Amino acid sequence: MKKYSNSTEVDFVVIGAGAAGGIMAKQLSVAGFSVVVLEQGGWGKYGREHEYNKDEWLQRNLSDDDRLMSDPSKQRNTFRPNDKVKAIAGNHSYGCVVGGGTVTYGGSNWRHLPYEFREASHDPTIPSGTGMADWPVTYEELEPYYTQAEWETGVSGLRVDSPFVAPMSKDYPVPPMPLKSSGTLMKTAAAKMGLTVVPGPLAIISKPYMGREGCVNCGICSGYGCQVRARSSSAVTMFPIAEKTGRCEIRVRSYVREITLDNSGRINGVVYFDAQKREVRQKAKAVILSANAGESARLLLMSKSSRHPDGLANSSGLVGKFVMFGNGASASGLFEHPLNEYKGVISGAGIVDFVPSDPKRGFYGGGRLTARGYLTPFELGLGGLSPGTPRWGAGYKKALLEEANHRMTITCFVTQLPLETNRVDLDPDVKDDWGLPAMRITSSAHPDDIKNMEFFRKKSIEILEAAGAKKIWAPPVAESRNGAHNRGTCRMGNDPKKSVVDKYHKAHDVPNLYIVDGSSFVTGGRNHPTLTIEALAFRASEHIIQSAKKGTLLTRA
Amino acid sequence: MSTKRRSRRSFLVGSFTGLNAAWVAANYPGILAAQNYVRKSTEAGQLPRLAVFTDVQAAEVEAMTVQIIPSDSTPGAREAHCVYFIDRALSTFAQDKKPAYLNGLEDLQAKTRELYPDASKFSALTSEQQIKTLTAIEKTPFFEMLRQHTILGFLSRPEHGGNYNKVGWKLIGYDDSLNHKPPFGYYDAQQS
Repeated sequence: MKKYSNSTEVDFVVIGAGAAGGIMAKQLSVAGFSVVVLEQGGWGKYGREHEYNKDEWLQRNLSDDDRLMSDPSKQRNTFRPNDKVKAIAGNHSYGCVVGGGTVTYGGSNWRHLPYEFREASHDPTIPSGTGMADWPVTYEELEPYYTQAEWETGVSGLRVDSPFVAPMSKDYPVPPMPLKSSGTLMKTAAAKMGLTVVPGPLAIISKPYMGREGCVNCGICSGYGCQVRARSSSAVTMFPIAEKTGRCEIRVRSYVREITLDNSGRINGVVYFDAQKREVRQKAKAVILSANAGESARLLLMSKSSRHPDGLANSSGLVGKFVMFGNGASASGLFEHPLNEYKGVISGAGIVDFVPSDPKRGFYGGGRLTARGYLTPFELGLGGLSPGTPRWGAGYKKALLEEANHRMTITCFVTQLPLETNRVDLDPDVKDDWGLPAMRITSSAHPDDIKNMEFFRKKSIEILEAAGAKKIWAPPVAESRNGAHNRGTCRMGNDPKKSVVDKYHKAHDVPNLYIVDGSSFVTGGRNHPTLTIEALAFRASEHIIQSAKKGTLLTRA
Repeated sequence: MSTKRRSRRSFLVGSFTGLNAAWVAANYPGILAAQNYVRKSTEAGQLPRLAVFTDVQAAEVEAMTVQIIPSDSTPGAREAHCVYFIDRALSTFAQDKKPAYLNGLEDLQAKTRELYPDASKFSALTSEQQIKTLTAIEKTPFFEMLRQHTILGFLSRPEHGGNYNKVGWKLIGYDDSLNHKPPFGYYDAQQS
């Protein structure tokens, strides 16, 4: 791999090696630019993915080298529901490895629908007083980049013609994953209820594609690295291409603490801690911030200067605000015959009829119901049995044997209203393991969000009933407090007073800073964020390459 | 055969043909070595040596695990060697839990004496008495830890000492081939 010295002024530093960072590194290095990628986490099993194991006991006892997610005891964070109370220790965690969250995620890769980019001006159900706003990009503008993301990363799925699914200009590159028993049962219920079932589009290839093998349905999937490289993470799709250009260096265990400016107000580099927590400075002509919504906002807020007293790129005061972590609801049922849901991918078919918000429901909200929630042996034994079963002894064992493989779970991914009061900022008291201010999360759900989650919880129960479940249970709905689906902290917009980046992800306040990740989201869609992050990244990269080649992005004006 | 070894065998079901060469690295933290050791012992039809528990402690812990997942017409925690999983765990990943186990065993002894003043130890009680004793402590952190470790030992990969001969996996119908072809279950098979 190419190595740059710290004093070499590279064209781009990319902060964060996840879904967006991988695309940025690959696009920019292929276009001929010198790139250094700084990643908080380690390599994982990058380039030797066959070494990923499916050992649940090891998974619970990971060494620092084997961790694929951030460690809330080191990447410390705090939570409070509102400003009136003091924040307490939180357990926010995110993908933290080369490949970021795409190394371990379930792989759901739904597109946002066209109207999800302009709900604020078109949806009468939106309550007043929220931060709902139209995106500065339309679906039509983004559509070619959705297609590019699907084809360059490898997404399996079925193109369907439905008002509840985004229209596509091209089929998926590989067919959908096989329908599981849960999908069949969903179809049974949907036929009775007049609903639409669609195979879940997944960043898991069902067949060999671009030199990678298809999924073997091993079954211990989400949360684990894929040992056959079937999950289309940026670690197996983007970074190998970036590396091969000879122009991209990936530095792991590199924890950025500040983006620095020269006297003219241009970014001139970044300061980070290396694996030994030594401070290192890397010079750069431009910076791409792709650290995920929470971490990108935190780094901007930490990068204070006389020009940017409230944090870099924060003249609007909106950095960190409108954070959305992702709401959900679920229900489970037991069926007469074995489903063996543990085989195959975690996320199966989806019912899509409730994606749009409906004035008849009396609140704003929509979402997808997905057959999602297999149980590994540990998950089954520790917490997978139906409510009321004994926790130990003969009764426990009886339930364990009877319920194993007979359960199906519906997990709903639903809307979340962006609220200015929901935000991430710097905790005034708590420091992380690097001595930097911990991320503080302040978040409470809008009443409509709670009503919407309750709607989906009840709908999940109805579907399980129609599918013929013998016993059904559904945990009470709970608002989201943290998590890897964090979005919205550096929203994009045309007005610098009401947004942090422009429609091409360039920071309004800084000439050579681009923020490309889930932080740009203006609204949350129906939760599943990854494919939209990827489409936005491909689109941004085109603009950045043009600005760098023909404009003044990399040169002082 | 040493007394120690006999007593170790005395609390285990089935007959074994003596122990393998010394487990020289009892305190070696490398989990791969521990896994290899367990794997080799299993292949040789032998029990791994206890790394943490004394035989008496192991007998007590095993008696508890057996009440959590009893043996009846099908195997339970005893046949799955859950006590060996816990012993391995306390010498590797769960080293920090060792004091909690040792204290918990003392508390168990105290509770046993309180409920059954004539009893010498928990493992000597009748099954019914054991259930009563455990019910009396089932809200304690020690019991919850032991409950979870027993379940994990029942269902973990066999390299970690438990799930002997994959008895746990077989009981829950888990196929560990990590390579499956559809149809996966009854309902998708009906459809195809």
